[in-house]
Amino acid sequence: MKALVLLSDARHPVSGRPAPAATELQAVALAHTLADEVNGLHAGPDAEAARGALGHGLTRLEHRQLTAGDDPLPSLVAAIGTAPPDLVLAGPRAGAGAQTGLLPYCLAEALGWPIVADAVSLAVADGVLEVIQALPKGARRRWRMRLPAVITVHPAAPAAASFALGVARKGQVVETPGLPARIEGPPVAERPYRPRPRLIASAAAGAGAAERLKAATQATGPGGQVMVAPPPEAAARAILDHLRAIGVLKPAERG
Amino acid sequence: MTAASDPAFGLGLLVALLAACAAVVAARAALRWRIGRAARVDRGTGVDWMAGLLAVPRRYLVDVHHVVARDPHAARMHALAAGGLLAGSTLALLGLVPPLGASRLFWITTALAFLLALVGGAMVARRRYPRRPARLSGGTFQRLPLLLVAYGGGALLVALAATLGDPLAPLGWLGLAMAAIGGFGLVRQLAGGPMRHAFAGALHLAAHPRPGRFEGERATALMPADLEAPRLGVATPADFAWNQLLGFDACIQCGRCEVACPAFAAGQPLNPKRLIQDLAGAFKSGPPAYAGSPYPNARPVAGIGGPDLPIVGAGALIHPDTIWSCTTCRACVEECPMMIEHVDAIVDLRRFQTMELAAVPAGAIPTLSESRYAEEPGGRPLSARTDFAAGLPLPLIADKGSCDVLLWLGAGAYELRHGRTLRALVELLRRASIDYAVLGAEERDCGDLARRLGDEATFADLARANIATLSRYAFRRILTADPHALHVLRNEYPAFGGHYELIHHSAFLDELTAEGRLNLVAMPDGRLTYHDPCYLGRYNGETEAPRRLLDRLGLERVEMERHGKRAMCCGGGGGAPVSDIAGDRRIPDIRMAQARATGAATVAVACPQCAAMLEGVTGDVAQVRDLAELVLAAVEAAPASQGAGR
Ligand code: SF4
Ligand code: SF4
Repeated sequence: MKALVLLSDARHPVSGRPAPAATELQAVALAHTLADEVNGLHAGPDAEAARGALGHGLTRLEHRQLTAGDDPLPSLVAAIGTAPPDLVLAGPRAGAGAQTGLLPYCLAEALGWPIVADAVSLAVADGVLEVIQALPKGARRRWRMRLPAVITVHPAAPAAASFALGVARKGQVVETPGLPARIEGPPVAERPYRPRPRLIASAAAGAGAAERLKAATQATGPGGQVMVAPPPEAAARAILDHLRAIGVLKPAERG
Repeated sequence: MTAASDPAFGLGLLVALLAACAAVVAARAALRWRIGRAARVDRGTGVDWMAGLLAVPRRYLVDVHHVVARDPHAARMHALAAGGLLAGSTLALLGLVPPLGASRLFWITTALAFLLALVGGAMVARRRYPRRPARLSGGTFQRLPLLLVAYGGGALLVALAATLGDPLAPLGWLGLAMAAIGGFGLVRQLAGGPMRHAFAGALHLAAHPRPGRFEGERATALMPADLEAPRLGVATPADFAWNQLLGFDACIQCGRCEVACPAFAAGQPLNPKRLIQDLAGAFKSGPPAYAGSPYPNARPVAGIGGPDLPIVGAGALIHPDTIWSCTTCRACVEECPMMIEHVDAIVDLRRFQTMELAAVPAGAIPTLSESRYAEEPGGRPLSARTDFAAGLPLPLIADKGSCDVLLWLGAGAYELRHGRTLRALVELLRRASIDYAVLGAEERDCGDLARRLGDEATFADLARANIATLSRYAFRRILTADPHALHVLRNEYPAFGGHYELIHHSAFLDELTAEGRLNLVAMPDGRLTYHDPCYLGRYNGETEAPRRLLDRLGLERVEMERHGKRAMCCGGGGGAPVSDIAGDRRIPDIRMAQARATGAATVAVACPQCAAMLEGVTGDVAQVRDLAELVLAAVEAAPASQGAGR
C-alpha cells in the first residue's frame, strides 16, 4: 500500500507564516492508518511550508521545483506517473496561500482516477478502498471503489499528529526540477476576501407587496424560528417539531 | 580474658567487616549508574567532585536538614539513628586500637552513642508500628527499625559489657550476635533497600545537577535539551544523565512528595514517589518490590523495564498518563529531603514522547501546533493581544524606541478575566506616571507551555525570536503579571542569550506603594487569603512582596495551611489543563476548598492561570481577585487630590 499526500504552499490562516495546511496534515495521519510510509509531493517554487509536514509524520517529501506562476499539474502528473501510488490524498479546498482547491479534481481527471471529496476515514481490503465521506450537518456516506483513487480530506477527519523534531529530522526531501508549464486560461486575479452577500429569495411573480418585502428582507438559510421567553411547554414542542421536521425523530403518531 | 577474644574487640572487627561489605555493595550499586549519559549540571559544567564532596557535610547539615526539620519528629529520629549509628560504629572501630580498647571512659562514650542510635531506632519503630502512615512504604522498610534496634541495641550491650567488665561478658556475646544480625541486615539493605539512601544520598549531594540550590539560588530553570542529540529526551534509563540515576537511587520513600503532589490528591495517576521508584527500578534487573501507595487510578502497564528498554508506554513501566498529569508545580522537589529533581525527570520523559514519538495528549496538539505556526498557543493574532486595553493608553515600544518599564502581557491578555487584571495594572502604571510601553504585535508567546509539554524545539524557536525582538529596544526592566512568563524570561532565556531584569507586578506595586507613588486607603473588606502561584513562590522565591502589598491594603489576611513555598498548585501549570488527564477530583476545587476553610471571602491571586483555574470552581467559593485589582480599588478609594503624579 503506497499513499501519497499532495502538499501545498500553505500559510497559517492567522499568522500568515508558512505552515503546512491543517487538512493536509490530517491527510498524512489518515494515510498512516493504511501505510507505514507516507510520501509527500509538492510542485512549486518554494517547499518551506510543505517541508513542515515532515515533522508531522511525512516520511519523504518530493519537491518538483517550478518558477513562480507555473502550473503544477503537469509536474504532479509526471511525478505520480513514474511510480504510481495506490492512493493520492489532498486537502479539500484553498486555504491561505497559493491554492485553488481545484487541483485534486484536475489531477484526478488527468490521471483518469476516481475522486472522493471530504473523507474522514479510510480502509482498504483486497484492493477495494472504503471511504467515509463527510456531508453537511454531520451526515456520513460510505463509498467503495477500486484503487487507485484521489481522496480529499475533510477537517472532521482524525486530528493530525503534533510536530516532532525527531521525526522531522529523519524525513528526507528530494528536489527534482519540475516541468515548466504556463497556466492555461484566463489569468487569476487576487482580491481581498469579502464576505459574500446573502442570497435573497425573490418572491413569486404577482405576489403582494408584503410578500415581496418579506422575500427580499428575509434570508433563506437554515430557516428556523425565534421565540422570545416562550413558556417551557411551547419551547419543548417547537424543538420536537423541528427534530421531526428534519427527520431526527420519528413523525408524531396520530392518535 | 585476652583482648582478642572479648566481645568489644569482636564488635570492632564486626564493624570493620561490615564497612568492607558495605563498600563492596555500594560500589557495585554505583557501577549501575555508568549506563547513564554524561553528568548534567545546570551550570553547563561537569560534576565538580572536589567542591561537591567537600560541600557534602554542609549541604547535609544545612540544606537537607532544612527540609527534614519541617517534620520535627522525623528530624530528631533521623539525627539520633544516623548520628548514633555512625558515631558508635566509628568508635567501635577505633576500639581496635589497644589503649582505647582498654579505656573504660572510651566504652562509656561508645555505649552512649549506641544508646542514641537505639533511641533513634525505637522512634523509627514507633512511627511504623502498630500502624504505618499511608505515605510510608512497607516491605523491607518495615524491617528497617528491627535491624536498627538489633544493631544499636546489640552494640550497646557490647559496649556496656566492656565498660563494666567480666560480670556482663555473656551479655556482651549476646550483644555481639545481635549486632551482627542487625548489621548484616542493614548492609543487605544497601543495594536495593532503605539503606541505599545513605550512600546514594551523600553522593547525590556531591554530584547534584543543580548545585546552586545549596548556595541560596532557586535554580529552577529547566536545562535546555540538546537538539542535536541522536535521540531527543529520555526514552530508556540509559538516556538519563548518570547523576540523575544516582538521584533516583537516593530516594528514601518518605512519601513527602506524595503528600504534596496536587495530581496525587486529585486522584490522577501520578505519585511522584512511585515514579521515582519506577525510575530507580527501571535500570536494575529484578528491582525490589514497591510497597508504598500506588498511582491513584493506575492505568495498566506491562511492567517490563531494563537499562535499554523504553520507560514510558502501556507496554513498559510507566503509563503516559502518569507523566502528563504533572503540573510541574515543583511541590515534590520542594518537599524532598533527598533533593531529588522530579520535574527534570518528568520533562525529560515528556521531551522524548513529544519530540520523537509525537505522542502528546490529544488536547495538547492544537496548543503545540499553534505555538509553532502562530507563535501563540491559542492561535490568536499577535496583534489582538492588546485588545483588552481598548480605551487605555498602551504605547508601543516600537514608537517610543525606549522606555523604563516594558510590560510583558503574556497569553492571559487574550482572556477576559486576566484582561481585567491587566487593565487595572495599566491604570496603576498611568496613575504612578511610569514610563511604560508594550511590544504589541511583536510580543510572541514566551514558550512556557511548549517547553513544559516537552516541545523544546518550538520553545527554542520562540525564545530566539523574542530575544531578537527585545534586543532591538532599550528598557530598564520587564514587568509582567504572569509568573510563567516571569520565570521563563528571567531564568530560562539566559541559556539562550537573553539576560533581562524581570519584576513581577506584585513586587512592582509593592515598590510603588512603598515609595509613595501610589496613594491608597486601607479598605477593610472582609477576610482575605493569598494563593501563591507556584511559578512565583517556589520557582522564584517571591512570597513576601505580595503579602507586604496586601497588608498595605489593610485587609485581614489569613494564611491557608499550605502557603508560601509550600503552597498547593491551582492545577494550571505544565500544560495540565490542556493535557486534561482524568482523576477523581479537580485540583482547583481542592485548592478553593482550602481557601474557604480559612473563612476568607476573597482569595487574592497573582497569576492568570491561578485566576482562571480558581474562577472555574463552582459552589461554595471565595471571590477571586488579582492583586492589581485590589490595589486599584484601594487607590480609587483614596481622595483624588492625593493621587501622586497625575
Ligand atoms: S522522592 Fe524524595 S520526597 Fe519523594 S519519597 Fe523519595 S525521598 Fe521522599
Ligand atoms: S511537580 Fe507537582 S504535580 Fe508534578 S509530580 Fe511534583 S508535586 Fe506532583
